[in-house]
Amino acid sequence: MRDVYIIGTGIHPWMGFSEQVFADFAAVAVDGALKDADIEWQKIQAIMAGIFIYGGNAGHLSGQYLESIFGETGIPVVNVYNACATGSASIRMAYNSIAAGETDTALAFGADVSPKGFLTAKSDNAVQDRDVIRWKMGGLPNPIYWALECRKRMEKYDTTEEDLALVKVLMSEYGSKNAHARFKKTYSLEEVLNSVYVCDPLRLYEICPVSTGAAAVIVTADKELIAKADNPVKINATTMGSAMYGDPTIRISALSCPSVAEAPMLSESYSASRQAYEKAGIGPEDIDLLELPDNSSWHYLVYLETCGFCGEGEADKMLRDGLTKIGGKLPVNPSGGFSSHGEALSAQALWQVIECSNQLRGRCGERQVEGAKVAMAQTYGLMGNSGTTILSV
Amino acid sequence: MENMANKVARIPNLVDWSTGEVRLMSAKCNSCGTYFFPKEHYQHRPGCSREGVEDVLLPTRGKLASYTIQYYPCPAPFKTEKKITPYGIGLVEFADEKIQITGIITETDLKTLKIGMEMETTLLEMYTNEEKQQVVTWAFKAV
Repeated sequence: MRDVYIIGTGIHPWMGFSEQVFADFAAVAVDGALKDADIEWQKIQAIMAGIFIYGGNAGHLSGQYLESIFGETGIPVVNVYNACATGSASIRMAYNSIAAGETDTALAFGADVSPKGFLTAKSDNAVQDRDVIRWKMGGLPNPIYWALECRKRMEKYDTTEEDLALVKVLMSEYGSKNAHARFKKTYSLEEVLNSVYVCDPLRLYEICPVSTGAAAVIVTADKELIAKADNPVKINATTMGSAMYGDPTIRISALSCPSVAEAPMLSESYSASRQAYEKAGIGPEDIDLLELPDNSSWHYLVYLETCGFCGEGEADKMLRDGLTKIGGKLPVNPSGGFSSHGEALSAQALWQVIECSNQLRGRCGERQVEGAKVAMAQTYGLMGNSGTTILSV
Repeated sequence: MENMANKVARIPNLVDWSTGEVRLMSAKCNSCGTYFFPKEHYQHRPGCSREGVEDVLLPTRGKLASYTIQYYPCPAPFKTEKKITPYGIGLVEFADEKIQITGIITETDLKTLKIGMEMETTLLEMYTNEEKQQVVTWAFKAV
């Protein structure tokens, strides 16, 4: 296997609902990545595209639509969907194609225009699609799943409402310094604690909304392109994990879960992160900064434990002690996280990788993690989907 | 319960009240011992032969393993005639079957919800359909 590097990245800033064409957002991100890598479009030898599920035929074949914008060259184009971990799948495929020697330079991208309001069922077939049951019979929007787990956590450990609010305070501080973030207002602890409950114990500012955005990453093993790139970033590992039997987490879209744990919580992310540690020969103790999926304040806490940065029930203390702040032992989400961006399904995992890459390239200005050499991006997707990417300079 | 005959589940094969008791419709794998809900939500243990899956009704009572209080109306395709927010959603544990199941909590003072309390399966009337039937879903209430 060859060493594979990120040489160019691009982002269309995150924002709310838009009437614009999704492929135009993708083109902005891809243009940015090409300019950053300082290469011509014709150098791209494969496209691994995250699909846009609400975009019909165009969205499901997003790679082809993008290629037609930049000029069709006959290269392999693969369209992939792994829910919120879609971007992890696309960069993993790009990495594998290059590491195996199939191609030298590949593009991974995702662009998503989230519908107004909630992400609801996409079929009307209750036998095949549990999403139909949970919406028609269960009264179960996504944050309910997180609230049910959060309540269990608060009962089991000493997680407090202040801990949940403190996550938002930190995320809003970092998001306010990120040009790509959608939400740039900073919040005090009191403001978060005074916001309305969406689903008790989670409040409005402690869950992330759906957003619109696009992200693109160019990866290569071409020595000439690496040599001329501005601070190329090595991909030490990029993995995908799925859930394990006996995982006690109530998974989004499910109506039930095991009551006796035989696997770790969020086992898809446990699995993805452990694969990455093994492949990279890098462990949690070696990571200088972490981008984790803070879909809610509960996720921020539990992901530190799932990925092995502390023991079970210890994340609250890490947070309270300031270890997860920029300047702390393990800066978490210097980007401002999902809390400041919102979810743009097929693009968000790539945006996390780009934040890590920008940190390692020293490009993050006021929210720069000084001296960062190793970074990790961790995703979380519907129904047992997860990806981990470890990067270094 | 009264008027059980005039009720119809919004989606069939999830909840049964034909005996007079409201019970969730599960399936059990007799090879790996796992219970599923919904029945088609197979969750076999890796290596299981997947032989001998049979339909079973869950007990009427379980314990509250977690809960939340939902403060805004659940968007469509969820539908109720009457405003039900704020409503409780519980995760109710059926210990012998080693499964926890979500459901709306009815007829309960939400302030009294507590992990570990005993819950009973019931029906929530959502709306009346064109045939004048009460369309229902499964739910839980405090015992």
